[in-house]
Amino acid sequence: MTSEKGAQMGTEEAPAQRRGGARKAWPATFDTSVANQARMYDYLLGGKDNYAADREAVDAILTIYPEMAFTARANRAFLGRAVCFLAGDAGIRQFLDIGTGIPTANNTHQVAQAIAPESRVVYVDYDPIVLAHARALLTSDGAGATDYIDADLRDTGVILSQAAGLLDFAKPVAVSLIAILNAIPDDDDPHAIVATLMDAVPSGSYLALTHMASDLLDRETQDGLEGLRDRMPKHFTSRSREEVARFFADMDLVEPGLVRVEEWRQQPGSAPDSADRSSMWCGVGRKR
Amino acid sequence: MSTVAPDGEQPFSGLDDPPVDATVLRMLLGGQLRRLREAAGVTPEQAGMKIRGSRSKISRMETGKVGFKIRDVADLLTVYGVTDERQRAALLSLARQSKNPNWWTKYSDILPDWFETYLGLESAASTIRSFEIQWVHALFQTGDYARAVTELGHRFAGADEIERRVGLRVQRQELLTRPAPPRIWSVMDEAVLRRPVGGAAVMRAQLRHLIEVAAMPQVTLQVLPFTHGGHAGATGSFTVLRFAELDLPDVVYIEQLTSAIYLDQRADVEHYLEVVDQLSGAALTPAATVRFIEQVAQET
Repeated sequence: MTSEKGAQMGTEEAPAQRRGGARKAWPATFDTSVANQARMYDYLLGGKDNYAADREAVDAILTIYPEMAFTARANRAFLGRAVCFLAGDAGIRQFLDIGTGIPTANNTHQVAQAIAPESRVVYVDYDPIVLAHARALLTSDGAGATDYIDADLRDTGVILSQAAGLLDFAKPVAVSLIAILNAIPDDDDPHAIVATLMDAVPSGSYLALTHMASDLLDRETQDGLEGLRDRMPKHFTSRSREEVARFFADMDLVEPGLVRVEEWRQQPGSAPDSADRSSMWCGVGRKR
Repeated sequence: MSTVAPDGEQPFSGLDDPPVDATVLRMLLGGQLRRLREAAGVTPEQAGMKIRGSRSKISRMETGKVGFKIRDVADLLTVYGVTDERQRAALLSLARQSKNPNWWTKYSDILPDWFETYLGLESAASTIRSFEIQWVHALFQTGDYARAVTELGHRFAGADEIERRVGLRVQRQELLTRPAPPRIWSVMDEAVLRRPVGGAAVMRAQLRHLIEVAAMPQVTLQVLPFTHGGHAGATGSFTVLRFAELDLPDVVYIEQLTSAIYLDQRADVEHYLEVVDQLSGAALTPAATVRFIEQVAQET
């Protein structure tokens, strides 16, 4: 998979990459007795690829923060609208979807290829079982293509060199980081990771991301969720609007800017009529 | 979640003797209609009035004791506030299938009841996942390979019966080319590829056929190579059927020599789901699988 172009893309000086070499232990072994973020999300979206531990963890969250169900659905719907915009108005034909998760309806390549059948999509996930699902279910036929990379977001060098097997990094790429940066603690410098990825793509590329918002949850809810920390599968960091905005440093945010996931480019008349509000920031930025 | 009959009956578990005139599809659809009615807060009397029937008609429908009129099901879904087109289409399709005479009816003399049940489920499934340790999956068998397998299982059958059984298997494969075919995701032990059922020539043709099948967009094949060592599928082949309708449980099918086991209880199903997930994660990727089958074909 690794092409010469990919090798050139290697960003060996980036801090995230320097640390990446020693991280072989990451991919979680498959243990259904422990809640797993991808499967929890699957459960929230009404999927069937989840286990008792996943449902218990989600149910515990829902007792403290019932809006999580709406937030998960709104987050997923944002992905669809963002890819629609990217493949449509923005004319993007190459997608790097990091943190793919368990396949559900309207996955990135389906939305993109419905608009531009020749679209190429590389899916990245660090969970081998999630990736097995992606390889089985996220396949394209016809003019487009899909590929799959087994890597942690922090291993940007691995992601970029392997993605170069399918994507042409001389042409614009849309990088999507949907609800995944929450899994990167400040110690691992998520802003440097995103900068490394965006440094590797040319001007006119896009970044689409969503992030759990620390400033959209009241104190009581945050404390409640904090109390669940030990029962949750892994580290989870919410960030403020300002911290999320910094992921788009030196980029131009497309309208309407950094908003809640349900507020981003809803079709007129299709905006949620309920009073539900998510607690996730989202944005789509264009690299200058 | 996993109960498909009223009053806590478990119609699938250890189902050696299926109910006489209630197909699995009717039970699945009936159970679903009951859940939807209850969620909508509609009484059986009210529901019965809406479809020009009685309380007991609703009860018979919900317990899978009678066939469904498509119009009745459509009206009930409206009364229950089911407006999502995908959900409606999935349920109406179940209703249609539970009503139509099944294509396999003409084979009923050679089909045990427990296998007819499987055919009904298979044709209603949206995703079929399987682990095979002995044979190539029936949906992927060539005629010659199917004949060799059939002869092994029916040593005293006449030539006519063998041909009818092979014909049944071939007709079953029309599932692959029908409109909106199910996704089929099959993990095979390497032994399946190495055992030359029907002889080397038949097996080579079968392996070439597998490579063609693997190219179908809705089919995923993975091989678990011997080099992987031990694996989680210790007890043998099994199939997990999933249905498009969100509230329908997955069903695990395990075939035995003279009967079959159907599991739909969540704890049971999840155990198998976990194993098939594990096997899928451990097996070669779909792309590497095709290269592997090509290699085995050369060595066969």
